[in-house]
Amino acid sequence: MPLIKFFGNLRQLAQASRLPVKGSSVRSLLDELCRQNQALSDAIFIDGQLRQHVRVVVNGHDVALEQGLDTPLEENDQVAIFPPLGGG
Amino acid sequence: MEGWAGKVLDVNLSDGSITSYPLDMELAHQFIGGRGLGARMLWDLVGPEVEPLSPENVLIFATGPLTASGAQTSNRFTVSTKSPLTGTVLDANSGGWWGMQFKRTGFDVLIVRGKSAAPVMLEIKPGSITLKDAANLWGKTVSETTEALGQNNNRRNVLCIGPAGENQVRLASIMNDGERALARGGPGAVMGSKNLKAIVVEGDQKMTVVDQELFKFVMYEMTKRIKASPLTSQALPEFGTVIMVNVVNEIGALPTRNFRTGQFEGADLISGEHLAETLMVKNQACWACPISCTRITRTENGEGEGPEYETTWAFGAECGIDDLVAITEANYLCNDLGLDTISTGVTIGCAMELSELGIINSELRFGRGELLKDVITDIAYRRGLGSELAEGSYRFAEMHGAPEYSMSVKKMEFPAYDPRGMQGQGLLFATSNRGACHMRGNMLGPEVLGLPRLVDRFATQGKAGVVVTHQNSAAVVDSLVVCKFVNMAVAEEFFARLLTAVSGVTYTGDDLMEAGERVYNLERMYNLREGFTRADDTLPRRLLEEPMPAGPSAGWVVKLEPMLKEYYQFRGWDKNGVPTPVTLKKLGLEAIR
Repeated sequence: MPLIKFFGNLRQLAQASRLPVKGSSVRSLLDELCRQNQALSDAIFIDGQLRQHVRVVVNGHDVALEQGLDTPLEENDQVAIFPPLGGG
Repeated sequence: MEGWAGKVLDVNLSDGSITSYPLDMELAHQFIGGRGLGARMLWDLVGPEVEPLSPENVLIFATGPLTASGAQTSNRFTVSTKSPLTGTVLDANSGGWWGMQFKRTGFDVLIVRGKSAAPVMLEIKPGSITLKDAANLWGKTVSETTEALGQNNNRRNVLCIGPAGENQVRLASIMNDGERALARGGPGAVMGSKNLKAIVVEGDQKMTVVDQELFKFVMYEMTKRIKASPLTSQALPEFGTVIMVNVVNEIGALPTRNFRTGQFEGADLISGEHLAETLMVKNQACWACPISCTRITRTENGEGEGPEYETTWAFGAECGIDDLVAITEANYLCNDLGLDTISTGVTIGCAMELSELGIINSELRFGRGELLKDVITDIAYRRGLGSELAEGSYRFAEMHGAPEYSMSVKKMEFPAYDPRGMQGQGLLFATSNRGACHMRGNMLGPEVLGLPRLVDRFATQGKAGVVVTHQNSAAVVDSLVVCKFVNMAVAEEFFARLLTAVSGVTYTGDDLMEAGERVYNLERMYNLREGFTRADDTLPRRLLEEPMPAGPSAGWVVKLEPMLKEYYQFRGWDKNGVPTPVTLKKLGLEAIR
């Protein structure tokens, strides 16, 4: 089962730093996550789209440069979700 | 004062003379202030024959036309000098309150020349500008000096060096308001070489603005955007910059154990999330800042500001240390001794690697956080191995026949990004005018965070244009002088409108970007005059030839050469990286040769 890793304030909302969640694609995984946790859903999505500055990274690679939310997932993939973050 | 105060204060420590004269307003309009004005003045004052730690070098403290206006983050200021670490043009940049207070004394710029025969301090108060004996302060730490001189954030502000600057450590910073730092490139060593311990300012002059209505309107619009942006209204206030540890680690670009690898197994233990849970007391803002990114933290042994992302990495993953308390206390110590945390941490990391390889005989090893305080103190006081480390990682590694283990560009130590995982960042570091520096146009935004939009971090073609734009933009912000975090929420056009409102001189966003380009090219010409060449626009061998061994950036090296060619073209430079006469003329730099 893929593993979701939470960062920033998403950890408080998830009440965990990581969770295994079922999903064969990023979209289905996030749908399942949001089904389980409305607060996370509100933090990650708006009007069915990823909120601005939220980033989803699979095995270290941003899905925006892969197949977006349709990026397929394999069993041991690690899916990192970053809320809006800044720094330097 | 409307924008620029229009005056320069000039202090000669050799003969004790103190004079003031009008600011050249044509230069001010072209180079704005801060970094830009400092570089332009440095061009005239400090030529290639001047050694950085000689009396002939100068310190140019510069504010900008927005400083002290009350506009968001209008507290920052710069110091310009020839760097004793790199030999390049240098500006360092700090926040807090000192810059605002200095502007309120009625000057835009303070030039410090020469060398005092004995330790002195400079005090600038209404009706009184004096050099005073500082024998009783020499040897004191930054906190001791700041307290002894009566620091009060809003009324009386202290800028000083610690023991590291007094001992002319090439990594020495100048500190202001206790724990704010003009950190990189060794300006503290220059101040120490002049026997100048501190500069205290009390001002009584208020900024006025030419167009009050426009000023209020632009401030209102900026405030809306800063509040609307989750970066400036939530992320930075809640977690500060340390939140980047896990982000950069996740993509495999967190330099670990002197850039041997790009992921640190202890990253979460030194992350912003962990800091918030364990050591954080509260956040704090500089003067006129709505963002409040500063962390106030507490351990069993002390309380203070920080650590920031760069510091956490430099004493953390870079040194293989996952002890956040040790890292935080190392940060407090560097602030109190007056040391640049980035260069200090990376120099220690270099020493750790040389020790593990048996090239030097030392107890230092990756992961030995319990040794940090002792080695930092030894650096500040030039004791034992610390006397070698005080020269910076390049000179230190070169002493031992192994310069390739210094992770530096132009002898300035790297910040917290492995460019094998961020190609554009590699180009940025190689071409930065003050050596390896992310603040010259951090590619973290486009290559990782998607700000303003995401670009492929492994791509090389087309990357040069993005780097050039970011470098020019950074030069604008450094010359105004405002905080780059505001730039995350508002574009240069807002700064242009503010500047127009404050000064009565009409600026557009394009005017400011052209000024940024002008500053960048001037700095380049300065370095060329110093003898730097295309050969110095490079990266350590490890990054060019050793593929990242593991993680999401595995297999990559930095493909610098094609990016560099493209970069020179974008810049309007010839194939040797020299600005062409056409480029110089376009920017009004014909006199700069």
